[in-house]
Amino acid sequence: MTIGVLVDLMLALALVGLSLRVVTGRALFRDIVLFILFGLVIALSWSRLGAPDLALAEAAIGAGLTGALMLMAYRRLVAGGAEDVAPRRRPPLLAVPVAVLTGALVALIGLAALGVERVPDAAGTIVLEELGASGLGNAVTAVLLVFRGLDTMLEMAVLLVALLGAWAVLGEVHPGRLHQVDRRTPLVGALLTTVAPVTLLIAVHLLLAGTDAPGGAFQAGAVLTGCGVLLVLTGTVRPRAAAGLATKLLVIAGLAAFVMIGASAVALGRAPMSLPGTWAVYLIETAMMLSIAVTMTLLFARARALEPERA
Amino acid sequence: MSPSASTLPGDWIGIALLLLGCAFYGAGTAGLLRFPDVYSRLHALTKADNQGLLLVCAGLAVLARSWRVAALLGVIWLLGLMAAAVSAHLIARHARHSGSRRTSSEERP
Amino acid sequence: MTAIALGLAVVFLLLNLLAGLWRIGQGPTAADRMLAVLLFGSTTVAVLLIMAQWLGDEALRTVALLFVVLATIVTLAFVGTTRDGERP
Repeated sequence: MTIGVLVDLMLALALVGLSLRVVTGRALFRDIVLFILFGLVIALSWSRLGAPDLALAEAAIGAGLTGALMLMAYRRLVAGGAEDVAPRRRPPLLAVPVAVLTGALVALIGLAALGVERVPDAAGTIVLEELGASGLGNAVTAVLLVFRGLDTMLEMAVLLVALLGAWAVLGEVHPGRLHQVDRRTPLVGALLTTVAPVTLLIAVHLLLAGTDAPGGAFQAGAVLTGCGVLLVLTGTVRPRAAAGLATKLLVIAGLAAFVMIGASAVALGRAPMSLPGTWAVYLIETAMMLSIAVTMTLLFARARALEPERA
Repeated sequence: MSPSASTLPGDWIGIALLLLGCAFYGAGTAGLLRFPDVYSRLHALTKADNQGLLLVCAGLAVLARSWRVAALLGVIWLLGLMAAAVSAHLIARHARHSGSRRTSSEERP
Repeated sequence: MTAIALGLAVVFLLLNLLAGLWRIGQGPTAADRMLAVLLFGSTTVAVLLIMAQWLGDEALRTVALLFVVLATIVTLAFVGTTRDGERP
């Protein structure tokens, strides 16, 4: 047995063990912590599997967003009188056959997939063959923007709809209701002045590198969101009552850039959604990054808009 | 894989630094598991892990034989040091505010 | 030899992670459980850096960089939001 197999086995064991404990655990806070660790192990697994694009996204979202989001939700639950430890309940009798059947189904699909022969002209193979024509070096970015541009555009629409839905149920904004860490706390101000610019730098790097190396708009947007969350958590920015023009433009930028470039292709007599060149890729990716970052930060902060807190 | 299959003399230095770094990580974990209260665990963990990260980065920089990679590793270590310092400070403050007591040496089992 | 040492280092650090899980089950306070998150954070960075050298994947260093930059967010959310035995 080589060391590589041993590493794979340990990661698989950790993933299965952690997910079982997260699902079956009854102590709320402990399960949140286990879920955060689950995200870290997932990122390690993607790295080990040679999928750095996914590892980057998981690192940014797992480390910067989901954990913080769950801890905030925990605080609201506890403040609302929820118990940290749920009482032990007997699982319903139906659970056992459902679990067994689901397991059998997954095993069956897995076994069938092992026996499937490689199709010569599957979509993935064609993408890799045509990669040179797209002018992009990163197959993931090429698929997202060139080959499946419509899907990516609709993903941006989904994100926008999510924000509009959140705004609809938001109600009145209470500035300063989040219990935050004051940025005048020792070390926290120093952390902000170092880390916030570094996140901007990394986001732009991921965006520019994304055409030829792992990275891209989604990863860059997630990193920028991390920066936004940091500003929200330290009370550097605070919710505002209504969204101004700048916020609205930033939120729709990704979708708008896609639609305009995709539609202008039709007007110029080319195929719908075809991109006129690499500059269009950069333009759309930049717009997407900004939209993703602003939308997710607003969702995190439960706000319509954010403004700097004056000290 | 490393650029050349054979192990150069410089690589042995890198491997030694790397394994020493791992030993510090082991010490940090041992402290987390064995020490009696939250403050001593915090102290053992963050201190040892930062030293471990420095040694691991130094070892990898030697193994990579590239100034660019060495500089990146240096940046990662500095940022990691900062993150650990801030996290440790905030968690310790939180523990003190929520009333965690230090275990004095007489009370230890 | 270098590849073997890198692989063994990854295995050793992963064992550290598995051992750290014990502290989460044990607690006793929420702060103790957050310590396990710190352990996972710093160890994951080291594992990623070693894997970058081991597997020859430059992008994994960027993943490690992301982890150290965003590492404090969870701690900030934790100290800002939860107090043992005290309703915020």
